[in-house]
Amino acid sequence: MRTGRSSPGLSLASALVYLFLYAPIAVLVVFSFNQSRLTARWRGFTLLWYTTLWRDHRIFHSLMNSLVVATATTLICVVLGTMASLAWTGVAGKWRSAGEAVVYLPLIIPEIVIAVALVIFFSFIHLELGLTSLILAHVAFCISYVIIVTGARLAATDRSHVEAAMDLGANEWRAFFRVTLPLAAPAILSGALLVFTASFDDYLISSFVAGVGSTTLPLQIYSMLKRGITPEINAVSAAILAATIPLVYIAQRLERGSLSLRRAMASLAGIFAFMAIPVLVRTWPSSPNVPQLNLYVWSDYLSPRLIHGFEQAYHCHINYDYYDSNEALLAKLQAGNVAYDVVTPSDYMVQIMIHQGLLARLDKSKLPNVWAHADPRFLHLPFDPHNDYSVPYAWGTTGLAYRADLVKGKVDSWSVMFNPRYAGHILLLDDMREVFAMALKELGYSLNSTNPAQIREARDLLLREKPLVKGYNSSNFQQDLAAGDAWIVQAYNGNMTFVMHENPNIRYVIPKEGCTISVDCACIPRNAPHKKLALEFINWFYRPRVAALFINDCGFNTPNLLAPRYVRPWLLRNTAVFPNPASLTRCQFMHSLGRAMLLYDRYWTEIKAD
Amino acid sequence: MEKVLQWFRCRPKWRVTVLVAGSLVFLVGLMLLPLMYLFAVSLAERARYGTIRWHFSLQNYLQAFHPLYLEIYWRSFWIALTTTMLCAVLGYVVAYTIALRVSGGWKSVLLMLVVIPFWTSYLIRTYAWMLIFRAQGVLNNALLWLGVIHQPLQLLYTTSAVFVGLVYAQLPFMILPLYAVLQKLDPALLEASQDLGASRWKTFFRVTLPLSSQGLAAGSALVFISAASAFITPDLLGGARSMMVGNVIEDQFAVARNQPFGSAIAFLLTFVVLGILLASLRSTQRGARELL
Repeated sequence: MRTGRSSPGLSLASALVYLFLYAPIAVLVVFSFNQSRLTARWRGFTLLWYTTLWRDHRIFHSLMNSLVVATATTLICVVLGTMASLAWTGVAGKWRSAGEAVVYLPLIIPEIVIAVALVIFFSFIHLELGLTSLILAHVAFCISYVIIVTGARLAATDRSHVEAAMDLGANEWRAFFRVTLPLAAPAILSGALLVFTASFDDYLISSFVAGVGSTTLPLQIYSMLKRGITPEINAVSAAILAATIPLVYIAQRLERGSLSLRRAMASLAGIFAFMAIPVLVRTWPSSPNVPQLNLYVWSDYLSPRLIHGFEQAYHCHINYDYYDSNEALLAKLQAGNVAYDVVTPSDYMVQIMIHQGLLARLDKSKLPNVWAHADPRFLHLPFDPHNDYSVPYAWGTTGLAYRADLVKGKVDSWSVMFNPRYAGHILLLDDMREVFAMALKELGYSLNSTNPAQIREARDLLLREKPLVKGYNSSNFQQDLAAGDAWIVQAYNGNMTFVMHENPNIRYVIPKEGCTISVDCACIPRNAPHKKLALEFINWFYRPRVAALFINDCGFNTPNLLAPRYVRPWLLRNTAVFPNPASLTRCQFMHSLGRAMLLYDRYWTEIKAD
Repeated sequence: MEKVLQWFRCRPKWRVTVLVAGSLVFLVGLMLLPLMYLFAVSLAERARYGTIRWHFSLQNYLQAFHPLYLEIYWRSFWIALTTTMLCAVLGYVVAYTIALRVSGGWKSVLLMLVVIPFWTSYLIRTYAWMLIFRAQGVLNNALLWLGVIHQPLQLLYTTSAVFVGLVYAQLPFMILPLYAVLQKLDPALLEASQDLGASRWKTFFRVTLPLSSQGLAAGSALVFISAASAFITPDLLGGARSMMVGNVIEDQFAVARNQPFGSAIAFLLTFVVLGILLASLRSTQRGARELL
C-alpha cells in the first residue's frame, strides 16, 4: 500500500476483472467433469471425457504432430536466431535498420496476411504441404522472437567479459561457449519458450499450410469446435492448461532471474516428458512403414469402424481430413501441392475438376463391386457420362430442418426461411450453390439458372432475408438445432439423421418448391501418390456390408442396391435418409455454371459481407 | 578450427554474413518473398475457376473500395476501437492495482495470473465463451435459474459475443505494457500531488495518466491491430453480420477462390496496420523499445 489510502472501489474492480479472466477457464475445467453431454447443467462427476480423450487416436496423432513441429521449430529458431543476434550486436548503420525492419516484419504483419502469403507462395514454388511446410512456416514467423529477446540481452551484456576471457588466452570459440553463451542463456531459454508456445498454439497459419496427415492439435480442436461441442474438448483443454501453468511459472521466474538455469532446464524437460510420454504410448503401435492412404472427404463421410475396417483388411494406414464445401476442396486441389488419394466432390464440382484436369481416369476393371452393386440412377450422369473419373460415393438432398416444438404450423416450403417471425433463428448453409438454389427455387426458377436477371433477383431476395439469418454454418447446424440455438436450418439430409432419432421434435422436409439432390463422387486426384490403394478403397467401399456400415455410422445414404439389407431398421424408416421416392421428383441435380459462376461468386461475397 | 576462426576474425563482414545467413533465408525467403508475391498476385486477375491469370490490373483494389467492403472495414474498425477502449479501462484497473497498490508476493502472483491466459491457447479461451453463450449454456442456465429471464437469450453468434471474446483475448496485451510503465512511476510524485491538495481523480488525470501514456499507446496499438485483423473470434463467436476483414480475406482464399482480390484486401489491411503502428511508435519510441 504505497500510496497510503486504500480504495475498496479499485480493489473490487480489479477482483471483477480477474473474475472475468478466470471464470471462463473455471467453467471449462469444471464441465470437463460433468456427466451430461449436451447441457451446461451439472449432472454429476465423471472422468468419462478423459477416458474418451485417452482413446481418441486423432487427438494423440495431432498432439504428436504438434510436438514434432514445435520442437523442430524451436531448435531451428534457437540455433539460427542466436547466431543472428550474435552478429547483430556488431552491425550498425543502414544495414541495421534494414535488418530490423525484416526482423520485425513477422510481428507486425497480421497473421492472416502471413498465412495467405505463405500458402500461395508454397503453391507457386510447388512445395508439398505437410510437416515440412508447417515447420518452415513456423520458423519464418517465430525466429524473430529469438533474435529480439536474445539480441536485447546480448546488447545489454558487457563486452568486457568476453574481451577479458580472450585476453586471458581463450579463443573466440571458447569465449563464446564459456562466457557469451552462459550470459545469454536465460534470454535464449525465454525466447525458446516463447517460440515453443507460439508454434504449439498456432491455428491460423497452420490451417493454411498443413497438408495430408499433418493435422496439429489446434487444427484438430478447431475442427472439433466447428463440428459440435462435446465435453471431450473441455477435457483436452483442461489437460493443455495443466501443462501450460508450470511453463508460465518457469518463464516468469526465469525472467526475474530467481531460477537457476539448470533447474529451469530440468523442469522444462520434465514438462516436455509429461506431454510426450503419453503421446508416444498412444501413437507407438502405428508403424510408419505400412502403405498410406490419404482421404479428403466431406465431414461425416467416414467413421472409425470404416477406417479401422479398411486398415485391417489392407494392412495400411489411413490419413484423413474433412472439408465443408466443394469450393474449399477445389481451392486445395488447385494449389497443386497436396497429395490426397481419394476425394469426394459433388456432381457439379466433378465436372469443374474434370475440366480443370485435376482428376485421374479410373481403371474401371479394378472396380467390379461398383458395377455389380451401384444403383443405375446414379451412374452415367451428365457431369461424367461414362464414369471415367468418378463413381458415386453417397447421395442426398439439401432440404429444410426445423424444430416442430418451436416453429408453429405446417412447414413444407422454403418460404418459412423468409418469415420475419423467425428472425434470428434461421441458419443457412455456408455453401454458395445451396443458398442460391434455395432462393432460386423460392422464386420458381431452376437452381442451375445462368440468367443474370434471375441470379440478381435471387441475390436481392437473399439480401432482404439477411437480417433474419443468424449465421452461415455447414458443419454443426444439426447441433445448433438440437440445442435450440437455431429453429430452422437449411440442411444436408444425412446430418439430420441422428439428431432426428434423438429428438422427435426435429423434422426434415424436402420443400414443395423442390431442392437439390446431389451425388458426391469418389474421385482420384491426378497427382495422387497411392492410386492403386485408392482404387482398392473405392471397390471395398462398394461391398454391401461396408456400404451399410457407412449408412449406419454416418447417417448418409449411399447408392448401393444391396446395402439396405444390412441397415438398422430405424434408419430404413428415417425419411431424411430414405425419402419417399415421390418427393425426389421435385429435386434437381446441380450443373456446372460455366461463365455465370463469376456472377454467383461475386454476389455470394456480397451477401456474406453485407 | 582455429584457422577458420582466424580467417573470419579478419573478415568481420564475412563473419556477420555467415551468422545471419540462416535467419535471413527464413525471414527473406519465407516472409519477405511471399509478401512480395502476394503483392504481385493482388495486381493480377482471377480466371474463371479461381486460378490466377497474370494480366496487370488495378481492378482488385477498385473492387476493394466497393461500399460493401467499406462497410466491413468500418465494422472491423469500430469493433477494434471499442475493444481497445474496453481493454484500456479494464487493463488500467488491473495494471494500476498490481503496480501501485500491492507489493511483494501478491504482486508476482497477480502478475502471473495475467500472464497465464496470455500463454494459454487462444482457441481454448474462445471455446470457453462458446460454452457460456450457448442457448443451453452456462449463462442462460444461470439467468433462467435466477428467474431474470424466462426464455433463453440468443447470445452465441452475435456481435456482442465477438466483443467479449476479443476483449477477453486481448486484455493481457494491454495490462502488460501498462504495468511496465506504471511500475516505473515514482510514487513520490503521486504523494506530492496529493500533498499539494489535488484530489485522487485529479492526481490520476494530471499525473498518473500522462506519465503512463507510453504504455497506454503501446498496449492500444497491440490490441487494436490484433482485434482489427481478428479471424478466429468472429469465426467462432460471430454470426451472419459480424464478418470482419480477416474473415473476408480467409474466405477469398479458402472458399471463393479469388486470390487476387483476397491479396488486395490483405495488402490494404497491412498498410493500415503499418500506418497505425508507425503513428503509435512515433509517440512512444522509447516505450516500445523497453517493452520488447
